[in-house]
Amino acid sequence: MESQFINNSRACQQSLSSRRNFKNQTGSLKPGYGVAAAHHGELLQGVFAGDDGRLKRVLVSIPCGIFKSEVRFTPNGRDVVEVEPKWKVKSARAVELTLSSLGKHKCGGKVQIHSNIPIGWGLGSSTSDVTAAIRATANALNERLSPYQIATLAVRAETACDATMFGQQVVLFAQREGLVVEDFRSSLPTLEVLGFNTGSHANGVDTIAFPPARYSWWEIEAFRPMVGLLRRAVYLRSAQLLGQIASASATINQQYLPTPHFHDLKEISMQVGAAGLQVAHTGTVAGLLFDPNDPSKDNRIEQAQTLLATLGIKHMWMFQTGVNG
Amino acid sequence: MLMVKGINKIAPTVVESVVLPKLIRLNSNLYGAAFFLMKLLPARFILDRARDAGLLHEGSVVIETTSGTFGLALAMLCKLRNYKLILVSDPAIDPPLQRRLEDLGTTVDIVREPSATGGFQQARLDRLAQVQAAHPEHFCPAQYSNPHNPGAYAPFAELLTEAIGKIDCVVGTVGSGGSMCGTSLYLRLLFPHLRVIGVDTHGSVIFGQPDQKRMLRGLGNSLMPPNVDHSVFDEIHWVDAAAGFTATRMLHQKHALYMGPTSGTAYLVAQWWAKQNPDATVVVVLPDEGYRYQDTVYNDAWLHERNLWLDNLPESPVRVDHPLEARSDEWTCMDWNRHTYEQVMGAPFSVGKNDEPVARIR
Repeated sequence: MESQFINNSRACQQSLSSRRNFKNQTGSLKPGYGVAAAHHGELLQGVFAGDDGRLKRVLVSIPCGIFKSEVRFTPNGRDVVEVEPKWKVKSARAVELTLSSLGKHKCGGKVQIHSNIPIGWGLGSSTSDVTAAIRATANALNERLSPYQIATLAVRAETACDATMFGQQVVLFAQREGLVVEDFRSSLPTLEVLGFNTGSHANGVDTIAFPPARYSWWEIEAFRPMVGLLRRAVYLRSAQLLGQIASASATINQQYLPTPHFHDLKEISMQVGAAGLQVAHTGTVAGLLFDPNDPSKDNRIEQAQTLLATLGIKHMWMFQTGVNG
Repeated sequence: MLMVKGINKIAPTVVESVVLPKLIRLNSNLYGAAFFLMKLLPARFILDRARDAGLLHEGSVVIETTSGTFGLALAMLCKLRNYKLILVSDPAIDPPLQRRLEDLGTTVDIVREPSATGGFQQARLDRLAQVQAAHPEHFCPAQYSNPHNPGAYAPFAELLTEAIGKIDCVVGTVGSGGSMCGTSLYLRLLFPHLRVIGVDTHGSVIFGQPDQKRMLRGLGNSLMPPNVDHSVFDEIHWVDAAAGFTATRMLHQKHALYMGPTSGTAYLVAQWWAKQNPDATVVVVLPDEGYRYQDTVYNDAWLHERNLWLDNLPESPVRVDHPLEARSDEWTCMDWNRHTYEQVMGAPFSVGKNDEPVARIR
């Protein structure tokens, strides 16, 4: 187990060369607060070419406001970062990186993380902690970081992260580089999501250790019309089209991380007339997607709940995308 | 990597600038995908994959046995990439195309004499084997069997989904199986109910007709291309030459689209189906431009001499239950129902004894 004290001594040595810097590096810290919503798995995950023409592993997260991580940063007057709970060392590392990137090499503080995000379900608990920690640190310094800046810090702290820091903004995100491959310059259209955990992996999935899918060349090509349709879906604000993208991506992913009951879930999705079925591509949650403008939406959801219960899925929750949270 | 987003940037070569089609609204629910030269898409993808696998580098020899538009696409790409291209062809190749290929530095190797057994097709295969033996390091794109032919159509599918969104039906001619099977399988991941309508012509073996000399070219085949996945198709149409050529002229006269006869043939079927299904969004694949056919399809005298001009296009096809019921002189269709060849015909495809194996591959 790593120590909860992450020493900034190297940063100290680098910064001691200038007295003026030194003064700037220690002063003006106040308590800071940051929050980050979880996501509910992905609308789409696969491989896509960036502007440089090189293929990158990418995803589009589904933001989920009912699970979140909150972080309080309290300056401790020393040059060490302490984190609670102690095992959340990635968040401590993220705070350390944030401080030094904002020029505060000599600063430290206490980082308290409060999260209701279940771990290992594919909800992005780790990136939410890290994002909230970075926001809390920036807040303590009276700084506001863009999602792009947060992503750069988060991927350095975690080696791979998801697109949590972008909130409702739709981006095709390269999770191993922390880069945006395509910014759709829009919020996610509103989707009504009936979420649940398919949870046979009792301990969840370690999303970083999970080996990346080895997609075939055909699958890599098949992501292209999905991204094309995503552009259209965002433009038209279409829940129906988003549902079709989610179902297609979930289907391809079955070879790499099978979702328990996937076939039955797809049947239910079709039977009740859901817009689609989404899954966590490195986790166990899944969701049926509904069009909020569909007049029979409530009936469909009720029917889906009944059918899901017959699969032994008892714990379900509802949330909406495209709204603040 | 072919970028759909940002395609309007300055292109590195002519290929990138014309490889994707223009999308044109032809009716309230019918979109035409008008290609400059559709075969650039598979030729490019096949050569890219071979290059990535280390099979091609500057100066490599590429050998193929086509005399149609796939050969032209290969010739353009091989010139731009400094590969040496040898096309084994038969005397059916049209002279302007041959000159164009040769202008691009392609060696056009024409088989003059049919083989004693097996006709031109066999002679061509024999000659191909000789040329291949003379260049042991060569690469053969093999458009009829290379899975990278159908696999090449993802950028097209991306363009369609981005521009149109939900698509209910795709209509197009079938020759190698590449465009229709490839595009449809990519789109069906997103739209499982997508209706796929394949357009063939009488005398083509692809959908179970006996092999015969065909007037309408650029679609159909005398051989069964392994790249045709029959189970993709919901519905098959056989269009005769007169209807196909007249429809090509209609496409020009009505929509000012100067396209080749495969385009007109697909348009005939697509405009009919779109009219029957006004709530469905239909895409029709228009594979090449009309300039190669100025002296034939676009020449009234040529059409009249051959009795190929129709004053009135048939309004609808004759419906049959089996491919062998399709008469050679009328537009015919049947529900294929995503079956295999064997499910429809009762036996797997085999070359019949009476099939004259004349080289008619385009």
